[in-house]
Amino acid sequence: MGVEFYKPQKLEDVLDVLATKKGPLKILAGGTDLMLDIRNKKYEVAGIVDINLLSELKNISVEGEFIKIGSLVTFTQLANSTLLQERVPFLVEAANSVGAPQIRNQGTIGGNIANASPAADSVVPLIALDAICSVLSPLGNRDIPLNQLLCGVGKTRLASDELIVEVKFKLPRKITRSAFVKFGRRNALAIARMSVAILLGLDGNKVNAARVALGAVAPNPFRSLELENMFLNKAMEEIDVDEVIARSSMVVSQALGNRPSAKWKNEAIKGLMRQVLSKIGIM
Amino acid sequence: MIGTKSFEAIVNGEQVKLNIPQNLRLIDVLRNYLGLTGTKEGCGEGECGACTVLVDGEPYNSCLLFALQVQNKNILTIEGLASYNNLHPLQESFLEHGAVQCGYCTPGMLLVAKALLDKNPNPTREEIKVAISGNLCRCTGYSKIVDAISAVAEKGVKR
Ligand SMILES: Cc1cc2nc3c(=O)[nH]c(=O)nc-3n(C[C@H](O)[C@H](O)[C@H](O)COP(=O)(O)OP(=O)(O)OC[C@H]3O[C@@H](n4cnc5c(N)ncnc54)[C@H](O)[C@@H]3O)c2cc1C
Ligand code: FES
Ligand code: FES
Repeated sequence: MGVEFYKPQKLEDVLDVLATKKGPLKILAGGTDLMLDIRNKKYEVAGIVDINLLSELKNISVEGEFIKIGSLVTFTQLANSTLLQERVPFLVEAANSVGAPQIRNQGTIGGNIANASPAADSVVPLIALDAICSVLSPLGNRDIPLNQLLCGVGKTRLASDELIVEVKFKLPRKITRSAFVKFGRRNALAIARMSVAILLGLDGNKVNAARVALGAVAPNPFRSLELENMFLNKAMEEIDVDEVIARSSMVVSQALGNRPSAKWKNEAIKGLMRQVLSKIGIM
Repeated sequence: MIGTKSFEAIVNGEQVKLNIPQNLRLIDVLRNYLGLTGTKEGCGEGECGACTVLVDGEPYNSCLLFALQVQNKNILTIEGLASYNNLHPLQESFLEHGAVQCGYCTPGMLLVAKALLDKNPNPTREEIKVAISGNLCRCTGYSKIVDAISAVAEKGVKR
């Protein structure tokens, strides 16, 4: 079996391999998705490009008003980061919700994004945060909003010689609350999985910023402006929980149209929404 | 040989160097090339933890790793846990507490327990449950395994 395994030491070398070696090539981060995809013959590969020697992709840092997370940061690192625990706890909750310690040790944020699963756990809070991916190819660097990078189930706008270097988002103001909830295990039927991420910025008791993202409802996680508007410019106790829950069911119905899962997911979202609102302290 | 690459790592304290096919999984190298058959393959899909090994002290599923991915790393399998004529305290405790029935999950359970105690010598039962949450056991119902691990923690036996 003619699979070549490349282990470049520097970013330039990764680009060089991607540009010059015989394809199809696949980037290897943790490998928790890639190993199974290759074994299940989801695609043919001629070469595997292992990027794990690039230690510069393994950091979480603050630069100006942005938090930057290297693409090789694992779920375990996300979960253990005090910076993230303080400023974006819902991203930590999403990382911790990944089933097993072994998978959290191995799976990376870059792989979670590039794999483009409708239910990718870290992607749901990242979408809520309007995250931006920095990607690199032999042509140079570019920034692309995460919601544009993802373009369908298992699909991204990454070129075949392009890699995600980091994902970044604006540091939420100190006074925010956030929460993530999901149900369904990864290998449950797609119909039995769904997740919600919510982030509220507070000025005193008043909500002055609201983000609500849903996972496993559409081909990729998305923000619902309709739901966000139900929180904006209200005092916490003015938020009409029943109305939010009813509206969330409508949002899910709209997103799923007449897909068979719609009937049950537009009920299930009610419970999930109740859970996330209670976690964030609204009810 | 055409199509192979050199694989080097420290396995159970010994330097190994082998030529292997480039897409080989770590579990295949351990079992088929090194004869370390204590590492079990259950699901082959990352779900059961039977194939757990420690890489630089942390648990990974060896069925999900390419061998060349852990080039030059320090790998511990169940064969490296005990010394030549003494069982590891965790192994003693598993036997004492009836935490081993068919034994298929045991190597993986012992290794995640070791990784936990190395970092956190006094885990709560909750912390133990989290640590073993990636390892399935069809036989024991888990509570004897948790008992066995907490007993070692209480004795304060290290390593
Ligand atoms: C048992 C099990 C349980 C799981 N549970 C969950 C769960 O609860 N929630 C969840 O969201 N996921 C889960 N997953 C899926 C998987 O672990 C995640 O999607 C993980 O984040 C993938 O990261 P990785 O580093 O392992 O990716 P890899 O397998 O290395 O790569 C995945 C894909 O992304 C590409 N890629 C990786 N890095 C880059 C990069 N920097 N630039 C460009 N392309 C790149 C690869 O070429 C490949 O196509 C689970 C998987 C298993 C096996
Ligand atoms: S055999 Fe590796 S996790 Fe089941
Ligand atoms: S003892 Fe049989 S699977 Fe655990």
